[in-house]
Amino acid sequence: MIHGLFDFFRKILVDRRNPFISDYEINRLRPPGAVEEQKFMALCIRCNRCMEVCPYGSIKRAGLGATIGTPHVFPQDKACYLCMACCRLCPTGALDKDLKDPSKVKMGKAKIEPSICYSHLFLEHDVIPDESLEKIGALCNTCYNVCPLRDKAIILKDNLYPVILDDCVGCGICVERCPTRPKRAINVIPAGMGRVDEAGFYFRKARTHFDSSRSKEPSSSQQPLSGESLLEQKYNIDSSGKTPKFDFPYEQPKVKGDWD
Amino acid sequence: MCLPYRRATQIFVFCLMFAVPILNIYELYFITGTFFAINFGGLGVADPSVILQAIFAAGDITIPVLASVIFPLFIAILLGRFWCGWLCPFLFVSEGVEWLRNLIGQKFFKKPSSYVPIRNSFKANVIRFSFLLLGCATAGAIGIPVLNYINAPAIMSTEAMIIVKERVLSLEFGFIIALLVIQFSVLPKIWCRAFCPTGSVLSLFRTSITMRVTSSSRNPTVPCCKEESCVRVCPMGLEPYRECGNLLCVNCGKCVDSCLFNRLKFSGFEIKRRAEKM
Repeated sequence: MIHGLFDFFRKILVDRRNPFISDYEINRLRPPGAVEEQKFMALCIRCNRCMEVCPYGSIKRAGLGATIGTPHVFPQDKACYLCMACCRLCPTGALDKDLKDPSKVKMGKAKIEPSICYSHLFLEHDVIPDESLEKIGALCNTCYNVCPLRDKAIILKDNLYPVILDDCVGCGICVERCPTRPKRAINVIPAGMGRVDEAGFYFRKARTHFDSSRSKEPSSSQQPLSGESLLEQKYNIDSSGKTPKFDFPYEQPKVKGDWD
Repeated sequence: MCLPYRRATQIFVFCLMFAVPILNIYELYFITGTFFAINFGGLGVADPSVILQAIFAAGDITIPVLASVIFPLFIAILLGRFWCGWLCPFLFVSEGVEWLRNLIGQKFFKKPSSYVPIRNSFKANVIRFSFLLLGCATAGAIGIPVLNYINAPAIMSTEAMIIVKERVLSLEFGFIIALLVIQFSVLPKIWCRAFCPTGSVLSLFRTSITMRVTSSSRNPTVPCCKEESCVRVCPMGLEPYRECGNLLCVNCGKCVDSCLFNRLKFSGFEIKRRAEKM
């Protein structure tokens, strides 16, 4: 209870964002042409006109929570086929009325999980054939075949495995058709949601040290400042003359993984 | 005279709520939307209170937003709260609840059929306008049009759409049921009288040419007949012999029909009449 209240005020004061608007979620998109999330929540009057006009039944009504009544697209069930019928009907401009070109939609961007994707798995394992991979032993490429913006949003690198490009509009047809179960090998990350794999150097650096400080056991009572607690202390620096105390637990940041 | 026509339009609108999603299933998109905002073959119409919320929440005014309220406000300026009295599905249902209350609950509740919780209509007006202001202020503060969560007629049409299209009910249906139960048991007519944001916004557009009920009674402070026939029938819980032109009046015409001496009449469009006299 107290923790929830603390979180609520932390969202307002520190993160400077609306605590009533729920967070982003992978594979949960707004209809095409939607303005950014904060403005969308203000402008959408829950008239459900976009839901009624959608010929594919892609747009669903959101359930419990602050977003109740607003439209969502869940590409795992039914993706958006970019017919652009909903945009011109929106009475308040929560969906952009003038948007008619499907390639200019920005609902999100797809991301392939190489550890599940059949094509990527085949590429990695065809040298050493494995019995458990017998089912996979084919170039799937479904996502490439179903994409409405083929060769612009998605390409077949070396005619072997699919790669997403920046022109991806996030319609989610690839997610709907992806054959892997229960987890899809391709997911759409909604526009506005932060992406670790596309983030800048310092974000990833902070994230890496945050992870490493979490994985360590709290050996001493004097836990060194690191990760998000360090960031919090940096936020509290003011010009009143107090000098904040910083402990640096590491001499040299280790380069971890592929970020450098 | 009014009642059969009024029931006809109310039943038509009630059926329209279910007909629109059925038509849309058969790919007829002439009418789309719910009573939050509806589109008749290109003419976009939106609930003015909903639009007011959106303006407060978003913090700016755009042309499509304003264009959608021109038609309802035009109707409100000409005919008063025509939407509330003649079209609103919630008033239709709550009048049914009221009828049921008078029919079976007369002995049980031990209250006269004209009982309303806030007798003073000025107080009721103050409560509903401050409720609207509070809602707008909250919407501006948290950036979400909050009064949309409790907009009873619009929620009814949304629920009708969901029932037809997805065969499920959402949480908001419980709100309608709770409201009807409250109106049946303890606080009759409470929603339309003291809270409805749509009705509050529509009654703000009363001008001198708006149609309204006027009384030709000589002494309007005393009821003309001892039955108080107009008080008994008023769906808004007014006392039409003395407050017939109140902002709460929905122009339903029940009191005009029931008046034994024909002292209550519809009047309006006064600018036109003045011009004729000159």
